[in-house]
Amino acid sequence: MDRKRQAFLLALPASLALLVFFIIPMVYILFKTIAENGFSDFVDFFTDPFYLDILWTTVRVSLISTAVSLVLGYPTAYFMARTKSRMKKVMIIIILFPFLVSAVVRSYGWMVLLGTKGIVNQFLLGIGLISEPLKMLNTEFAVIIGMIHLLIPYMVLGLLGVLQSIDPNVEYAAYSLGANPLQTFAKVVFPLSTPGIISSCVLVFTMSMTSYVTPKLLGGSKFRMMATMVVQEINVSFDWGAAAAISYILLAVILVIQLIVTLSTSKYMKRMGGGKNA
Amino acid sequence: MRDGHVNLLCKIVAILVMIFLVAPLLIIIVVSFTPTAVITFPPQGFSLRWYANIFTGTGKFMSGLVNSLKVGVLATAIDVFVGVFGALSICRYNFKGKNVLLNYFTSPMYVPSIAFAFVLLQVYSQIGGITGMTRVFIGHLIIILPYIVRNTVSVLHVFNWTLEDAAASLGANPIQVFFKVTIPLAKPGIVSGGILAFLYSFDEVALSSLLSSPRFVTLPIRIMNYMELTFDPTLAAISTLLILASLIIIVLMDKFVGLDMFMK
Repeated sequence: MDRKRQAFLLALPASLALLVFFIIPMVYILFKTIAENGFSDFVDFFTDPFYLDILWTTVRVSLISTAVSLVLGYPTAYFMARTKSRMKKVMIIIILFPFLVSAVVRSYGWMVLLGTKGIVNQFLLGIGLISEPLKMLNTEFAVIIGMIHLLIPYMVLGLLGVLQSIDPNVEYAAYSLGANPLQTFAKVVFPLSTPGIISSCVLVFTMSMTSYVTPKLLGGSKFRMMATMVVQEINVSFDWGAAAAISYILLAVILVIQLIVTLSTSKYMKRMGGGKNA
Repeated sequence: MRDGHVNLLCKIVAILVMIFLVAPLLIIIVVSFTPTAVITFPPQGFSLRWYANIFTGTGKFMSGLVNSLKVGVLATAIDVFVGVFGALSICRYNFKGKNVLLNYFTSPMYVPSIAFAFVLLQVYSQIGGITGMTRVFIGHLIIILPYIVRNTVSVLHVFNWTLEDAAASLGANPIQVFFKVTIPLAKPGIVSGGILAFLYSFDEVALSSLLSSPRFVTLPIRIMNYMELTFDPTLAAISTLLILASLIIIVLMDKFVGLDMFMK
């Protein structure tokens, strides 16, 4: 058997499975939606303030969650990359541990903490800081907290990979040439870690844009993001055309972001001269 | 050291992040032992009644667990073959469009699972007569495939293919070469990809919630359904068991395959 045929046969099962169960259904339903209703569901989405508001909420929550995850995740990853203490191992386990725990369970933990009769309110009432329980659960705030909890491990692991590959001697060199810690960070560490920052942020932002469990459980029935809206259109409004429009628009947004980032990072890498750390 | 307080600041942030990550999980474990139906903190006493309620209550958690294991094990087992073959086809041979093929095999990662779930739901409703288990299984089969392909490729990428030739020149036939040389060397990627894929399937919600039938419901959906009706500490008890299972998995993985696999 020649090698070309071997390669073809090995690639066949995965190719066929993806074609039959993934590509064909995705394309078929898109054409079916357009054939039945034209582009009206898509036009509705972009002309109805109700839907535009959901898109904006999704983008806003994702931007805030990504930004906070980056701001908290970067120093964490930096500390983990540079420390030689045994704490690093413990921290890696703590980072990976919630990573393996279902999003349902993690959201439940926040429900117990943030509910009206939840532990945070019990505590604040107990010490007399507030006289009425705060409404935290079923708000955007709770969704963002839950989202950050979900995303930080991905952010830290992504950044850790890049920061570990930066030689600490580069930083010592900057110090010995008279740079202060801020300058060293701004001119040496940060630029070298930019590829990792971009790829981690895109990953985390995409996960947030498409997340379903966290907004459903922590946002309540009146809080709507794109993914929860798809399910509402199917189960509550029985509007499959709208569900299709939201699904494919969400997909398009994700693909456009991926495309922009792939194109711009490849340009950036060229300018940086290849980029070994990518 | 001049950068002393920068490091101190990073350390403080890192410790706060660790507390933030662990706190909700620790809280769940503590409240699972509450004797009362209303959750108070710290709990007034100690009781295992909510653990008993997992098995005797209305949640049907055990049938959910069995269903989740069925789908997860079956989808992972099939995808290990499909995915490893696919990874081999990319890494073992030289042809144009290797990157295109890799992107094709990992393409389900880029599609929101809720969008894919909706598409499958519509296709199934047109075909009709497909059982809940098959509906969920096909969805999981597709979305976990990228993890196995990607992790296997990352090992095969640095694989020394002359080892295969060496084995062949020493008289091994192609099947012996495959099972005694190629597969053992690719094992770390296959095992880590398989574990990630299984965990993804086990925790998956978007596809399972749209595609499951009343007779076939997976564990995460059982937990979510229970939450909507009753918000008692049974949820904390079942969650604690899931947290402990994750802890055991992580300790076993650290011991046998190492935790580096997550850091790629």
